[in-house]
Amino acid sequence: MAKSISLIRKMAGGGATAASALLCVMFVIYALHEPSALSLFGIGNVLNNTVVLALAAMGLTLVVLCGELDLSGPGVIAIANVVVATTSTGTLGTGGSLAAVLAIGAAVGCVNGFLVAYLKLQSLAVSLGTLIACQGIALLVLPAPGGEVSDAIVNTLSGDFFGIPAPAIVLALVGGLWLLLKHSRMGIWLYAVGTDEQASRLSGVNVRATKLFAFVVSGMCYAMAGYVYCAEIGSGDPRISDSFLLFMYAAVAIGGTSLNGGRGGVIGTLAGAGILTILQKMLFALGVADFYTNIFNGIIMILAIFFGQLSALLAGAQRLRKA
Amino acid sequence: MRMHEPPIPAGHAAVSKTPAARRALIGPELLPALMVFAATMVLVVGMKIANHSFGSFDQLTAIMVTAIFLVVASFGQGLIILLGGIDLSLGVVIGIGGMMIAGLTRGSDDALLLAIPATLLCCAGIGLVNGIGVALAKLPPFIITLSSGITFSGVALGLTAGSSQQSVAPALQKFMNSSFLGIPCPILFIILFVLAAWLFQNRTAEGRKLYAIGSSPGAARILGLPIAALTIAVYTIGGLCAGITGILLAGYSSSATLNMGDALLMPSIAAVVIGGARVTGGSGIYLGTFAGALFLSTLSTVITTLSLSQGFRDLVQGGIILIALVLQSGRLIVGSR
Repeated sequence: MAKSISLIRKMAGGGATAASALLCVMFVIYALHEPSALSLFGIGNVLNNTVVLALAAMGLTLVVLCGELDLSGPGVIAIANVVVATTSTGTLGTGGSLAAVLAIGAAVGCVNGFLVAYLKLQSLAVSLGTLIACQGIALLVLPAPGGEVSDAIVNTLSGDFFGIPAPAIVLALVGGLWLLLKHSRMGIWLYAVGTDEQASRLSGVNVRATKLFAFVVSGMCYAMAGYVYCAEIGSGDPRISDSFLLFMYAAVAIGGTSLNGGRGGVIGTLAGAGILTILQKMLFALGVADFYTNIFNGIIMILAIFFGQLSALLAGAQRLRKA
Repeated sequence: MRMHEPPIPAGHAAVSKTPAARRALIGPELLPALMVFAATMVLVVGMKIANHSFGSFDQLTAIMVTAIFLVVASFGQGLIILLGGIDLSLGVVIGIGGMMIAGLTRGSDDALLLAIPATLLCCAGIGLVNGIGVALAKLPPFIITLSSGITFSGVALGLTAGSSQQSVAPALQKFMNSSFLGIPCPILFIILFVLAAWLFQNRTAEGRKLYAIGSSPGAARILGLPIAALTIAVYTIGGLCAGITGILLAGYSSSATLNMGDALLMPSIAAVVIGGARVTGGSGIYLGTFAGALFLSTLSTVITTLSLSQGFRDLVQGGIILIALVLQSGRLIVGSR
């Protein structure tokens, strides 16, 4: 057991290392093209654009790790966005809206997790249902783009503390929490359930609780992403997160997490989100038109998943040879 | 009780030869379809009681006519889900189909005979790409269709520069508004389409092979079924159905926009799920999908009649998918006992 876990960890490290290396290369190319990227402001700018995708994709990573799929992310982000836009300046205030948003995210994750883990429904279909329902709720809360995000949120999340950009602190916190989780019992269970659900159940892993945990935490991550997104755009728009889904999966796949579960990790996903963000900035800097960006994104996505599958196959072959 | 019989998955009702097994197994397949038909009737009658102006013959006809899009689109989606896949590019393909027919005909009937095959070919081609990605590159269906949808919508956006197209060929508009022997043409089209779809999915050897692949790909491979070819064919049919939907939608609304199919993507999946098909594949009959499509179209009209917002429609649709899934799992548990 311990041996197989260390093997899993090694493979997870492999994906994250490759993604981080790619991120560094991309950043150097970007910096060569745009020298201002190396300034504190430039780095803060990149981080600002990364943090929303990174948070959302991190939540998704947990669900994917335990072998399930989740499409509900954009729905939760939309609800979080409109709730903050309608309440943060008024009734709830900054902290109240954060708490409300996290509670909503946890509730949606709970619905997903309960239906998937306890009623054994297929996660793709369940989360599709919650995605549509959440988008509907977001439209009911705020039928048209508008609303206002309180200045406190905008200033805190786009500002800096002692010279360190706030998004960097958020990302560092998230990464730290992930490392704690990864080495806890629940973290090991996540990998175990994703690798072989049946064997995990037989070895005494609480599969249901693990899946429920993954969905609830992912729901809260989406909500957090929506909250941070508010600071970035400064208003509410129920439809703005519709295009997020592909990017979330792309970040997860580029980061070396297998979509079949059991392999990968959040660090790789953070690097994946960084790669995608810099890619967008490079395309923008090169003056590529919007629709070509779409074509590019679609193809990048397919390639990322394809190579992810290939490396998973290779890793599987290696494991067989060793055994 | 059935010690001498191997367990037969629910989707294989028609394959079984013994009458007893057939009687026992057709029930669970047909039941959701009948339930959804009943729910549709209840919805119409309930609205009639609540609001007397609702439910005139003209309005019921109008509901049927607007159901045509979902009926056609959800057939392709249903076949793909039967294989355990999903098509998230369907909305984009519908939009591309509509844009192509409008762009090629430019408001006259002259080019229609060429434009329709060209449009259908193009949409089937997108389905073909999806199928190749799923069957040969072994990518997860939702990934490949999501990415191909975004990619091709980028291509279409680039080619059209995002402008909404000129008016559609008058013949198409006339088709959507005319009647034959007192029955509106779209309704005749629905009847023929449903008949053909049902025959294909539930009465041909190819259709049964799809059930076999969907319920157990491993067993299907051992039996020597052409899995890759059938998978590619099914995704191509899915693209074709989306293309037909796009052409019909363009004829109905007499102009086309690139995102006009987006509103049909989620309902097409919902119709299949409500109709009793398992999303993991290998079960469900076309009559169920048809019932689901009729129900959702009726519901959509009801929501419009009550002048409720788009958000409420989404919320109800999502809720219905979840409820249908829960009911399904309940039925599976009861059925397995």
